[in-house]
Formats: sequence, structure tokens, C-alpha cells
Amino acid sequence: MGERPLGHGYRIYWIVWGILLIVTLGMAVVGTTALTTFLILVLLLGMLVKASLITGYFMHLRFERTSLILAVAVGLLVTAGVLFFLIAPDGLRVLNSRSPAGDLHIGGGR
Amino acid sequence: MSQASKSPAIESVWRGGVSPFAVSWRKLMMWLFIITDGLLFAGLLAGYGFVRLASPHWPNRAEIFHLDFIALMTFILITSSATMATAVGAARQGRLGTAVRFVLLTILGGLGFLSCQAYEWTKLIGEGARLSTNPWGVPLFSAAFFIITGFHGAHVLTGVIILSVVAARALRRGVSPEGVELAGLYWHFVDLVWVFIFTLFYLI
Repeated sequence: MGERPLGHGYRIYWIVWGILLIVTLGMAVVGTTALTTFLILVLLLGMLVKASLITGYFMHLRFERTSLILAVAVGLLVTAGVLFFLIAPDGLRVLNSRSPAGDLHIGGGR
Repeated sequence: MSQASKSPAIESVWRGGVSPFAVSWRKLMMWLFIITDGLLFAGLLAGYGFVRLASPHWPNRAEIFHLDFIALMTFILITSSATMATAVGAARQGRLGTAVRFVLLTILGGLGFLSCQAYEWTKLIGEGARLSTNPWGVPLFSAAFFIITGFHGAHVLTGVIILSVVAARALRRGVSPEGVELAGLYWHFVDLVWVFIFTLFYLI
């Protein structure tokens, strides 16, 4: 159950901390460059790696029963996916339907 | 016998009377809270994503924020998560003194992060940014910034208050190891949300 990994010292947390730090530094360096689609994907991958490490080790989720892991991860990931696939095309359609002159005051800015 | 017990075993887990997730009800409730709170931030970030995609222009963040400063804030929060995880481990081993020390370090990290955020907000407000207007020509930029980082900052502040209560109770030996763990779950969630904000708002 959830108790298994907790009695074996704290070393793992600081190893995870080191990895998180390295990934964050790498992402910050990438963030300062001109972003291409590939680099954006790299940043998103880095984000997911960090999120997995935090939930998996700091929150001990990877040591919990599979039913709890699925209840937490699947719900949130599916929601994220649905939001992305619903919103991305709509956002791009709004952008494409705008006049070329580009009125900057969208929505609440009036 | 073993053949007959296979499916009833699975069934009995979900029939009631036991926790199918093999965690206490308190921990399960914390996870449910984390899922719902996660959906709140998913909604906020999705709204930001829509505005961002629909805007012909979006201010260059490098001209507005100091990325090194934001990276420092991230460093503080990640480190506070590691100290919190250590506190939870210590509490589980019955070492309440060590647990309290690391909880206090975590609180310090939280306060450091909040100070950085207060500085950042003050700087932007000083430059003329408001909830509905800003000098960079895209009003929704500052709306997204203040709402998303504001909600996150409120969570950090709440976390600091929760951890202070946990530390005070631990000093009087009035907190269970699970109490420390639940506070830790909330704190790591705050760190987790920042991972998404840092990437989606500041970097991309």
C-alpha cells in the first residue's frame, strides 16, 4: 500500500529534486531562444516529465494501488485532452476570422 | 477454491465495507480535492490558451518578465517540495523533531515564493498593468497573468497557513504522520500547478 516507499530514507526525494532542477534549467534555457514547433514540444515534454516526477515520487502516487493512480491520472489527462481538442481549433478559428489589420482589444479589453 | 475466489475477490473490493483504493478516507478526500482543484486550474489554463490562440499578437514575455527571476521562483518551490517530502518521510518514521524542522523550511520556501510574487506583481502594476488594461496592447494578457498567478498565489498562501498549523500541532505532538502527509499532498499539488503555469505562461 501507500506505506512501502516511505520508510527507506529521503534520498529519493533529493534525487528527484536534482532531476527537476536540471529539467527546469534546461527548459528555462530553451525558453529564452526563438521557439520552433519542435522546441515547444520539447518544453511540453519537459513539463510532463516534471509533473510525473512530482506526482509519482513527491506525492507517492506511483506506490499507490492502480485504481487510485487511474482515478487521478486518467480523469485529469482526458479532461486536458478534451479541453485542448475543443479549444485549440476554436481559438484558431477566431484568430483566422479576424481582420488582417488586427484589432488587439479582444473580449474584456473594451 | 482458487478458481472460485478470483472474481469474488475483485467484486468484494468494490462491494463496500473496504477502501477500494487502499487508502484512508482522509487521504482519499484529499486526492478528490486535488483532482477538483486541478480541474479549476485546467479551466483557467484552457481559457488562457483560447485567448492566446485567438489573439493576433501576444506580448513578448522576455521583455516583461525576467526569466531568471521566474526560474528562481520555480527553484524555491521545487526545493520546498523536496523539504516537504522529507518532512513526510520523517513523520512516518516517528521523527517528529526532524519533520517539524523540514516543515518550517517548507514554510520558509513558501514565504520566499510569495515575496517574489509580490515583487513581480508590484513591478507590473508599477508599469501600468491592471486586470483589464496594460501598456503592452493586449488587455487579456494582464487579465490572464493576474488571475492565474493570483489563484496560484492564494493556494501557496493557504498552503503556508496549513503548514503553520501542522508545525504548531506537531510541536505539541498533536498531529499524526498522516496529517503531515495530507498537508504534504496539498503542498506538492501547489508545486505541480506551478510546473504548468511556468511552462505554458512564461516559457511558451
